[in-house]
Amino acid sequence: MTAADLVIVLLGVVAVGAGVLVVATRQLVHAALWLVVSFGALAGSYLVLTAEFVAWVQVLIYVGAVVVLLLFGIMLTRAPIGRSEDLDSGNRIVALVVAVATAGVLVTTLVRGFRSAYVPIKDRVGSGSSHTLGGSLFQTWVLPFEALSVLLLAALIGAIVLSRTDIGGAGPEPEEEEPEPRRRPAAPRGTVARRLGTARRRATPDDEDTIVLSRVDEEI
Amino acid sequence: MTPVYMAAGDIPTPHIEYGRLAPVLIVLGAACVGVLVEALAPRAQRYGLQVLVSVVGLVAAFAWTIALGIGDQPHHVAAMGAVGVDGPTLFIQGTILVLALMSMLLIAERRHEDSPFTAQASTVPGSPEERESLVAGLVQTEIYPLVLFAVGGMLIFPAANDLLTMFVALEVMSLPLYLLCGLARRRRLLSQEAAVKYFLLGAFSSAFFLYGTAMLYGFAGSVRLSEIAAAISKQGGDEPLLLAGVALLSVGLLFKMGAAPFQAWKPDVYQGAPTALTALMASCTLVAAVGGVLRVFYVGLETLRWDWRPMMWAVAILTMLVGAIVAITQTDVKRMLAYSSIAHGGFLLTGVIATNKAGLSSTLFYLAAYGFTTVGAFAVITMVRDAGGEAGHLSRWAGLGKRQPLVAGTFAFFLLAFAGIPLTSGFTGKFAVFQAAMAGGAMPLVIVGVVSSAIAAFFYVRVIVLMFFSEPLADGPTVSFSPATATAVAVGAFVTLVLGVIPAPALHLAQSAANQLFVR
Amino acid sequence: MNLYVPIVVLGALALLFAVGSVIMGSFTGPKRWNRARLEAYECGIEPTPQPVGGGRFPVKYYLTAMLFIVFDIEIIFLYPWAVAFDHMGLFGLVEMVLFIVTVLIAYAYVWRRGGLEWD
Repeated sequence: MTAADLVIVLLGVVAVGAGVLVVATRQLVHAALWLVVSFGALAGSYLVLTAEFVAWVQVLIYVGAVVVLLLFGIMLTRAPIGRSEDLDSGNRIVALVVAVATAGVLVTTLVRGFRSAYVPIKDRVGSGSSHTLGGSLFQTWVLPFEALSVLLLAALIGAIVLSRTDIGGAGPEPEEEEPEPRRRPAAPRGTVARRLGTARRRATPDDEDTIVLSRVDEEI
Repeated sequence: MTPVYMAAGDIPTPHIEYGRLAPVLIVLGAACVGVLVEALAPRAQRYGLQVLVSVVGLVAAFAWTIALGIGDQPHHVAAMGAVGVDGPTLFIQGTILVLALMSMLLIAERRHEDSPFTAQASTVPGSPEERESLVAGLVQTEIYPLVLFAVGGMLIFPAANDLLTMFVALEVMSLPLYLLCGLARRRRLLSQEAAVKYFLLGAFSSAFFLYGTAMLYGFAGSVRLSEIAAAISKQGGDEPLLLAGVALLSVGLLFKMGAAPFQAWKPDVYQGAPTALTALMASCTLVAAVGGVLRVFYVGLETLRWDWRPMMWAVAILTMLVGAIVAITQTDVKRMLAYSSIAHGGFLLTGVIATNKAGLSSTLFYLAAYGFTTVGAFAVITMVRDAGGEAGHLSRWAGLGKRQPLVAGTFAFFLLAFAGIPLTSGFTGKFAVFQAAMAGGAMPLVIVGVVSSAIAAFFYVRVIVLMFFSEPLADGPTVSFSPATATAVAVGAFVTLVLGVIPAPALHLAQSAANQLFVR
Repeated sequence: MNLYVPIVVLGALALLFAVGSVIMGSFTGPKRWNRARLEAYECGIEPTPQPVGGGRFPVKYYLTAMLFIVFDIEIIFLYPWAVAFDHMGLFGLVEMVLFIVTVLIAYAYVWRRGGLEWD
C-alpha cells in the first residue's frame, strides 16, 4: 500500500462519513456544511487521482457555489435555523434499506468492472491538467461546450422570471407602483383598471383565481 | 515521473459543419434574440416582436431542415462527431419543428385571455401583487425565448452522437420546460406543484442518465455511441459495468418519454402545466425523447440487443397496460390524455424493440402522426372554457356535441385517432408499428398492444358518448373561437385525416428517411 | 507528487496565519463587552430586526446567488482555455467569445430590467 492509497482511503472515509452526517444531522444548516466536507474530501480524491482540474472544479463549483446556493435556499424558504425535530422522516428504515441496497449494487458493479484494471498513478501525472482538458474541450467537445452556454443563459432567465417581482415593472418605462399604496389599494387600483380597461367579470366563486379577479371587480 | 503534456502548438481547428447544424443554430439564435428583445424593447412591443422572432426562427429552421432532407449530400457525423445528421434525425427534427410551430399558435394565443401563461410568475398566488399584475394586463413574454431554448435542446437530443452531448441537450430541453410548467395562469398552485414534481423527478432521472454514462465510459473508454458499439462487439456483452450502465441510461431515457414504471410525473405535469405547454410537451418532447431512445438503442447498443430486449419488452408491456387501464378511472380531460400519452409511449417502444428498418420507419411515422393528433386535441381543450378557465373536468363536457357539434366532432375524431380506428392516422401508425414488431419476432408484444388498444378505445368512446348522448349542462362551458387555435385544430385534424386515408406518401417519406439507418 | 508541495506549503502557511492571528487577537486585544460588540455585524449599521418566526430574506439574494453561480461556471471554463490558449488558433478565441457573449445576453437582460438595482 502506497502513500497515495492510504490518502485516498482516508479521504473516502471522510467523504462517506460526512455524507452520512448530511442526512443524519437534525440541523438543516449543518447538513449543508457537512456537504462542504464531503465535497472537499471528494476533491481531495480527484487530486490524488491526478485529475487536478476536476478537483478545482469540485472546489469552486460545488464547495464554493452549490453549497452557497443551498444556504441561500435555506434562508429564503423560511426554513428553521437550529435544531428541528421534524427533519426525521418516518420512512427512515425504508430509506436506509434502499440506500444500502443501491450502494451495494453500484459498489459491486464497480468492483467487478474494474477489478482487473490497474493504472499506476505515476504514469498519469498531468493527464488531468487544465492544459489537456482545454485541448479536448475546445477541439473535440466544442458543440456540447457551446450548448452549455445556452443552458446557463436559459437557467439564468428562468431564475429571474421566477424570482423578481419588480423586474417586469421596471425597465424602459418608469415604474408605476410604489410600496405605499398597497395599504389602501382601492382608489389607485380602480383607476388603473378603468384606464386600461382590462378588468373582467367572472362569476363562479369556487376557483381561487376567479376570486382574485372578482374582488377586483368589487373594488371598481 | 514523466508528466504527460501535450506537444506544443498542435490543437487543430475543429471542423464544424455549420450547414448541417443550421436548424439547431437558427432556433437557439432566435432564442438569444428573444432574450435581447426582452432586454431592449419597450413593453408594448415585446409580445409582437417575440411572436415574430419565434415564428420566423422556427419556420427558417424547418425550411433548412427540408433543404437538408432534399439535398443529396451523403450523411455523416458532424461537429467533431458530436451530432449525427442523417435521414431519421432530419425526419425527427422536421417533425419537432412543425409541432413546435403548431404549439406556438396556442402559446401565443391571447383571444381567450391575455395569455395562457401567468401575468407575473414571481407573484404569490392569491396575493395583492398578483391581482395588480392581472389588472395591469401584464404578460410574461420571457416564455417565448424559453420555449425556443427547449425546442433547441429537443433538436440536439435525437441528433446527439455521444452521451455527453446528449446529456447537455437533455438539460437544455428540460430546464425551460420545468420552469414553464409552473407558469399557468389559472390554478397556479396546481401548476407550481406540477413544476416542482417534474423538476425533482427530472433531476433524479438526469442523475441516472449521468451514472449510466459514467459506467459506459468505464466500459468502453469513450462516450461516443459508435465506440461503445465497437467495444461491445469486441469485448462481449456480459460485463457488469456495461449492463449496469445500460440499465441506468435506460432509466434516464425512459423517464423522459414517460414509460412505465417511470410515468408517475406525466399525469400531474400534463394536468398542472398550461395547456398550450402541455401540447408542446406531449408532442415535441415525446418525439425528441423517442428519437434519443432510437439513436441510443439502434446505434450504441444494437449489438447488445439480445440483452436489452427482455427488459424493453417488460417496459413496453407495462407501459401499454398502465396507460390504458389507469386512464379509465380519470375524470380530468388533461389527465386522461396524459395516460393516453403513456400508452402511446408503449406502442412506440414496440416499434423500437423491432430493431429493424421497418421498426425505425414505423416509429418515425407513428411519432409524426401522434404528434399532430395530440396538439390538435390539446388545442380543442384550450377552446372549451368555463368562467374559471378551461373546463378540465370531464363532467363539464357532457352534451357538448349537441351545442357545439363541430368542436365536439373534431375532438371525437382526435379521440378515435388515439384509439386507432381505421381512416385515422392512429390506425396507420399502430398497424405499421405492430407489423414491424411482428417481423422482428415480438408477437406477444403485438398481442398485448392490440389488447391495450381495445381497453383504451373503451375510455375514448366513453368520452364521445358523454359528449354526444348526454343532456347538455345548463351552465355548461362555452367554446371560445380564435383564428390561431382554430388553425392548430384544423392542421391537426387535416393531418390526422390525410395520414389515415392516404398514408402512402408519408409512410414512403418515413421509409426513405429510415432507409440509411443512423450514421455512426 | 512533488508538484504539489508548494501548494501544500502555501496552504499550511495560510492556515497558520489565520489560526495564529485569531489566537494572538484573543490574547492581546482589549475586551470591552457592550451592546454594539454583541451585534452580529460590527459594521456600524443597525441590523434590521427580523419578524417573529424567522421571516424570509428578500428574494433578491437568490438572484445574486444565481448570477454568482453562473459566472462561477463560466470562469471555470476560462482556466483550461487560458492554459491551452497558446496552442490554439483563432478558433479558440472565437469559441470563448461566443460562450461569454451568450451568457452576457442574460446579464444584459438583468441589467436593463433593473434586476441589479438593490433599491
